[in-house]
Amino acid sequence: MADISVGLNCPACGGAVSVVEGESTLLCPYCDSTLFIEGDQGVTTIAFRNKVNREGAMKASRLWWSRGWKARDLKRVGRTIEVYPIYLPFWRAMTRVAGWICGYEIRRHTDSKGRVHEQKVPKEVMVLNDYRFSEIATDPGDLGIRSLRNFSGETSFADFDMIPTFEATTSRDDAVARAKSDAQSRARSSAKVSRVTMERLHVLPRRLSMVYYPVWVVRYTYRDRMYMTTVDGVTGQVLSGRAPGDPLFQSLAITAGTSVGGLAAAVGIIMSSVAAELMIVGLLAGGIILYITYRFFRHGSEIVEGEFKNKPASVSQTIKELQSAARTLQEAYR
Amino acid sequence: MRIVQVKCPSCNSPIYSKQRDQLFYCDKCNVLHTRNGGAEKLDFEIAEFSGSSSGERVFVPFWRLYCSFIIRSKSVEGGHVFRLMSWMKDEDGSGTLFIHIPAADFDPSTFKRLAIDYTVSSPKYRSRLDFGGVRRMPAMMSREEAVELADFVVVTMEAEKPGVLQRLDYSLTVNGSKVVYLPFVMGQSGLTPAL
Repeated sequence: MADISVGLNCPACGGAVSVVEGESTLLCPYCDSTLFIEGDQGVTTIAFRNKVNREGAMKASRLWWSRGWKARDLKRVGRTIEVYPIYLPFWRAMTRVAGWICGYEIRRHTDSKGRVHEQKVPKEVMVLNDYRFSEIATDPGDLGIRSLRNFSGETSFADFDMIPTFEATTSRDDAVARAKSDAQSRARSSAKVSRVTMERLHVLPRRLSMVYYPVWVVRYTYRDRMYMTTVDGVTGQVLSGRAPGDPLFQSLAITAGTSVGGLAAAVGIIMSSVAAELMIVGLLAGGIILYITYRFFRHGSEIVEGEFKNKPASVSQTIKELQSAARTLQEAYR
Repeated sequence: MRIVQVKCPSCNSPIYSKQRDQLFYCDKCNVLHTRNGGAEKLDFEIAEFSGSSSGERVFVPFWRLYCSFIIRSKSVEGGHVFRLMSWMKDEDGSGTLFIHIPAADFDPSTFKRLAIDYTVSSPKYRSRLDFGGVRRMPAMMSREEAVELADFVVVTMEAEKPGVLQRLDYSLTVNGSKVVYLPFVMGQSGLTPAL
């Protein structure tokens, strides 16, 4: 947190003082006066200095084109048509959660005779942690950016006159409410109490800032279609983007996926003569492989990275979805 | 964002300090105040050091909250609700207690230890009129935060007794608050109470 500071002058002696983001009191290093920050409802506003130039943004974007499952000829065929910086507003909050979550978990074990025994294990877990939250304070449109990833860098309002700035459109109270809710749910999951009998959690918002962050937008074409990437104006990393996929990778995926999925199902059916459960396992494994293959094939024509509203699920997200569905089924079966 | 010089709400003298603190002490008129939308004078006490204490002396700020509680129902696996019982006055499960919340910036385990120790056993001391040049640890917690954490301290006291707490249905009301500076000695093993 101490990496962001804003330069001001002491009202008593005029000396330059540096205000650490979110702090309400500070000391003048020249006259020892105690100083107090009167902000807009306790909100500190800061802006990060843009450290990336036009060439740097284009270079980062072109480097991103060559990574992953994107079209292999993108670097050769893609044409950058527009590169410009913008300032995006973000809410940034620090929230402390203190409290207790009490409850129990059910542990099952099987004895030597194959009987399943259940044991209720009481649990009481203390939570005392700080959580950081950020979210965009405007409508990001199709930029694919919804939260801040980088929290360190030089701050300055020097670029404000030169770079177009998006205005904040979401309210402070809504941001605080979402920060509290986010901290509470993270605290709950950190406690890992599956069946809760008592929960006393106190959520204390400690710092709230409005952060203006520089982002470069790079628009490009590929075979007469428009695409876009956004580049972090402080770190130079690509934040989000859309790029064409490669038909060859899609074809290979559908061929390999259907073959492996079919093989798994066939092996399961063959092995059913040994044990009936093996057929179910084989059919399930085959079905899962086919589903993942379908998802990759279905959405492989466009590669999307970043926090887009209607972003298609990646392969890893699909696997997580399947794991979650399996857990729900397991619970229902019990 | 506007920056202002902090002045005593009583005598208007500027407050000078070597450390950042949420509580501002005027050594000219002995007034402690905080700023939360405007200057607010605070009721406070300073506890005297015991005669035998040696080492670097320091005053640690605590929020002392006078609270009343009512226990409606409870459930503990393998134990019982123990500590709240000692403050219970009536058979209906109600009682009063002083909850001490360390206001300095401590790590969670030190915060918890000090809060529990001084709440379970309220410190008894002779008070003094000023700090007498002894260093004060800066307060980093507002009264509102201390009030929120009072409930946390109550549940912590019960949860850390033998048995596993399963349910504690109660209400806690903060009826009054005061800042109390308690004496400690900084040694190699950390902070030691010097009451």
